[in-house]
Amino acid sequence: MQKPNDTTRREFLTTAAAIGAPLLVSPRTAFGSQASSRVTLGVLGCGGRGTWIAELFQKHGGYEIRAAADYFQDRVDNLGAKLQVPPERRHTGLDGYKKVLAGDVDAVAIESPPYFHPIQAREAVEAGKHVYLAKPVAVDVPGCRTVEESGRKAAEKQKAFLVDFQTRTDPLYREAVKRAQYGDIGRIVCGEATYFCGPTFDEQIKWVTEKPNDPEVRLRAWGLDRALSGDVITEQNIHALDVASWVLDAAPLRAVGTGGRRARSVGTCWDQWAVIFTFPKDVVVSFASKQLGQGWDDICCRIYGTEGTLDTHYFGEVSIRGKLPYRGGKMTALYQDGAVANIAAFHDSIARGDFSNPTVAPSVRSNLTTILGRTAALRGAPATWDEMIAANETLTADLSGLRS
Amino acid sequence: MARPVLALVALAVSVAGPPGHAGTPADVVTNSVGMRMVWVAPGSFVMGSPPGEPLRQEEETPHRVTLTRAFRIAATEVTQRQWLAVMPHGRSPQPGADRPVASVSWKEAQEFCLELSRKEGATYRLPTEAEWEYACRASAAAVTDLAAVAWYSENSDGTAHPVALKAPNAWGLFDMLGNVAEWTMDVYAPYPRDDAKDPTGPPAGPTRVVRGGSWRSFPPALRCAARVGTPESYQLAHVGLRVVQVVE
Repeated sequence: MQKPNDTTRREFLTTAAAIGAPLLVSPRTAFGSQASSRVTLGVLGCGGRGTWIAELFQKHGGYEIRAAADYFQDRVDNLGAKLQVPPERRHTGLDGYKKVLAGDVDAVAIESPPYFHPIQAREAVEAGKHVYLAKPVAVDVPGCRTVEESGRKAAEKQKAFLVDFQTRTDPLYREAVKRAQYGDIGRIVCGEATYFCGPTFDEQIKWVTEKPNDPEVRLRAWGLDRALSGDVITEQNIHALDVASWVLDAAPLRAVGTGGRRARSVGTCWDQWAVIFTFPKDVVVSFASKQLGQGWDDICCRIYGTEGTLDTHYFGEVSIRGKLPYRGGKMTALYQDGAVANIAAFHDSIARGDFSNPTVAPSVRSNLTTILGRTAALRGAPATWDEMIAANETLTADLSGLRS
Repeated sequence: MARPVLALVALAVSVAGPPGHAGTPADVVTNSVGMRMVWVAPGSFVMGSPPGEPLRQEEETPHRVTLTRAFRIAATEVTQRQWLAVMPHGRSPQPGADRPVASVSWKEAQEFCLELSRKEGATYRLPTEAEWEYACRASAAAVTDLAAVAWYSENSDGTAHPVALKAPNAWGLFDMLGNVAEWTMDVYAPYPRDDAKDPTGPPAGPTRVVRGGSWRSFPPALRCAARVGTPESYQLAHVGLRVVQVVE
């Protein structure tokens, strides 16, 4: 494993502007020799979200879904049938994605389990593809660094690289966060980020319960596997922590935490987490999550200042209360609207030749924030950002018994 | 798809003609209420901020704006003394003749401009958002020493200060950033992507653009590209105005 460079380690992705020199080039260059506004797309990962988002790509009108890959034949066939991808352009196995990258697509949408994101994104950029990447970008620190590097290389190679977070596209979220950053809630003192939901992977739990030792089932049930998913705090709860690091425009300095697997008996992920993060200027953010039970679902980030409170809910209201209130409004369908907006932004950046790729740095930063929380909670003792970056710890998934 | 492409460079502003050309000292005139009005030449600049610029907001879509007409802009925010020389009442929460007027709604700011125009026999109005940003940038690179030019959250002690105590920008304009935030003429709306000539914003909308940040603002608001939409009726303790004079 590569040792982090000492001179850059402390600065590693602590500010969102770390990446992204403005690079605007000719649209003709952006589209290669085709000089066409239609972006040909390969989909890597044809599970639930992969299929769902591929349909949104097709509905946009500016994309042609030309190839697809998934480990499982049934998954790639399901997407292929829905979106008219011919059988010879459907690829399977762990290395199926390489065949998509070797083909003639302009871009790829990476919707595979998070464990595979960094390598697939890196190879896609190396193959000269534009990259649309689902969150989380990676499950460990080396993966985050790979994605950061791939984002930078994409910019150099005049390729778009967009990380798909929904909240960051929403006008109400943007306005509320801006106002907090501009001073409307006064000096920021503390905050909370919470992600409370019921069981998310019921079907996967069923498969694993039926066949606990089947390697293909382990892959299909990736949401229960810490290495494949990054665990719940990284894979799912990142939405809440991303808003916190967005508002504060900073990475946490340290964290303490706890948690456990309280309500399920299979897999290696925890289903309940609690972490206290300390950000610069002694801003404390308390984080909690659950992926179990019934009766309460909320993705919230609330930031308290000396003169007001920023209150954001992924499925509810976004507002500021206090001396300078902002009424904001209610989220209606952020899960879909955000993806639609990102699909449009991705196309737009390719069409305009804008390869500044501004989503990469903040996404890597919030991804690392979740990993810091995970590290502290699993350890049951404080963890610091610097120490986490220096340790550069790898999560290794068990891929034995799977075909390439 | 086939439109010309912006070339964004480190210096986000360029003008037609000599860099930094806002006129000459002889072009500064003082009106009857003591406003020093600085002549600004026509020119063109990139309004907004490029992707990747620190602290930028997504709404600051960069686009080239050309201002085809010269105008004069006040070297300072309208002070309480100047306001009371024109209007019968003021309600600034932090009294002081040389402090900027504040707690005035957009409509009251408009009334002030009309009264001032009547008094001076010339046309005064709020700056358009583009004029404001052009004047703020003053053909210079981004501000590096904020405390030298602006009163803001970290040095204001929670109050506005008499105008022109900090260093002016390259065109001699004081407190463009900080002290009080300033109403502009324009209705707030997302920017168009296309190049624009003498833009004035959309015809109607729920809020007007306030610029410059104030004594209560954090550094992200203290940028020439930063913009906030505020309802016309709001009388905010940190929002005042600066006027421009139309050059015939």
